[in-house]
Amino acid sequence: MNHRIIFHIDVNSAFLSWNAVYALQHGAKVDLRELPSIVGGNQATRHGIVLAKSIPAKKYGIQTGEPVVSAKKKCPNLIVTPPDYLLYMRCSEAMLEILREYSDKVQVFSIDECFMDMTCMRRLLGGDYYKIATEIKDRIKNELGFTVSIGISTNKLLAKMASDLKKPDAVVTLFPEEIKEKMWPLPVRDLYMCGEATEKKLNSMGIYTIGDLAQTEPRYLIYKLKSWGQMLYSFAHGIENSEVNPNGSIPYIKGIGNSCTISFDVEDYETAHKVLLSLVETVGMRLRRGNFCCRLVQVSIKTNKLISYSHQKKLEVPTDCTNAIYEEACRLFDSSWKGEPIRHLGVRVSDLCGNDFIQLSLFDKNWEKQRLIDRAVDEIRMKYGSHSVFRAGFLHSRLAPLQGGIVEDFPVMSSIL
Amino acid sequence: MKTVKMLSVTEENGMQTPLKFQLKNEDGGRITVKVDNVIFRNEEKLAGNKMLVYRCQSQINGVLKVFELKYEVSTCKWYLYKM
Repeated sequence: MNHRIIFHIDVNSAFLSWNAVYALQHGAKVDLRELPSIVGGNQATRHGIVLAKSIPAKKYGIQTGEPVVSAKKKCPNLIVTPPDYLLYMRCSEAMLEILREYSDKVQVFSIDECFMDMTCMRRLLGGDYYKIATEIKDRIKNELGFTVSIGISTNKLLAKMASDLKKPDAVVTLFPEEIKEKMWPLPVRDLYMCGEATEKKLNSMGIYTIGDLAQTEPRYLIYKLKSWGQMLYSFAHGIENSEVNPNGSIPYIKGIGNSCTISFDVEDYETAHKVLLSLVETVGMRLRRGNFCCRLVQVSIKTNKLISYSHQKKLEVPTDCTNAIYEEACRLFDSSWKGEPIRHLGVRVSDLCGNDFIQLSLFDKNWEKQRLIDRAVDEIRMKYGSHSVFRAGFLHSRLAPLQGGIVEDFPVMSSIL
Repeated sequence: MKTVKMLSVTEENGMQTPLKFQLKNEDGGRITVKVDNVIFRNEEKLAGNKMLVYRCQSQINGVLKVFELKYEVSTCKWYLYKM
């Protein structure tokens, strides 16, 4: 046995379970997990979307991301509870504390998911991983009150796929020899990193299951989808070999984006630029945390009539500098906005590359000083909270200085952690 | 579960013991209950929130009753959990 042993731990209906357990601890008579219930954003500030749902709510066809209003139409007795990010952080931290008793290599993937490298525990724990995983799962359930699904395999990809196979409260293995039987019959959309757009493309090529993808000629996939095709082909065969990195960073991401619905309609350039800046602040931070630079900036606008459009531009020089991305985002916004009242704004950067070597341009500004400032600001925010320093322009404005994926007093979290 | 006004004693080693508490009834008056006996104490960390749980018994209006008191470490509040 020379291969690694990786666990992927996924909290079942995380936000909802955590709300439910906290309520029970404080004397609630009913368990939200057993009733049609959701965690929903605040409708007054127009953030009224479903953030998490219970299993009974799922039976009414309620989906994560849909408006609370439409969820209530599907189920009039639906219980809506507000999100409590401080509680979620505490739950996540308590779970990590238990996991760290079993391995020193625990990678936080998101607030409710993490990877553990258990290879080194082989001798110590006797090699019965199923038993160890069951023990971890039961400890989390008994001590912290919520359930998790644990996937076991030889790499992070397969472990993650495994934990999705059975929910809630389960331990599932997906070793390379089990791929054909357990993973190939699944729809291609279930494959990690296969989103809606990729699914459409694959379907149009006659690929519907992960098995179909695995049996497609790789050259054809590369021809159609470029390097993305090569990666999906490898994933369909369960090939992936990134390390469980306790400090984060998932190498295979396409882009980083943040967007926000503004609590009022934006009708002037100055306010819109401020919103863009608040979004770029968080996008820039996430970009730098992942050690990336971007070569493409995209701005998307949604009007109060819910019409969306976007503009993008390729940069001459890759950058990870907040101000450089902001300048570009403003230029894109100014050239695309048609003057309608704006409800929602988004900034996305993509075409990522590493930030260790950057090809500089003779004609571009020197951003070196700005990059040093960015680094200092990031460090302060990591240490003292995301709102410990912000730009003076946001003082007395109705806008938050950082938006998208950031909540007041909530440490910086991102999908690339 | 109701928050209560508590009189407790804390030993040198940090161990707390509830002695007597007051809770508000429906008409706004206060009822005082003396904790006669702590049957057992326990610690729970549900949802990552640490609470000390005390199962106690007391004579209330001539009837021996068993109930649970909880102390929430993060907020320093006492709760009457089950009665």
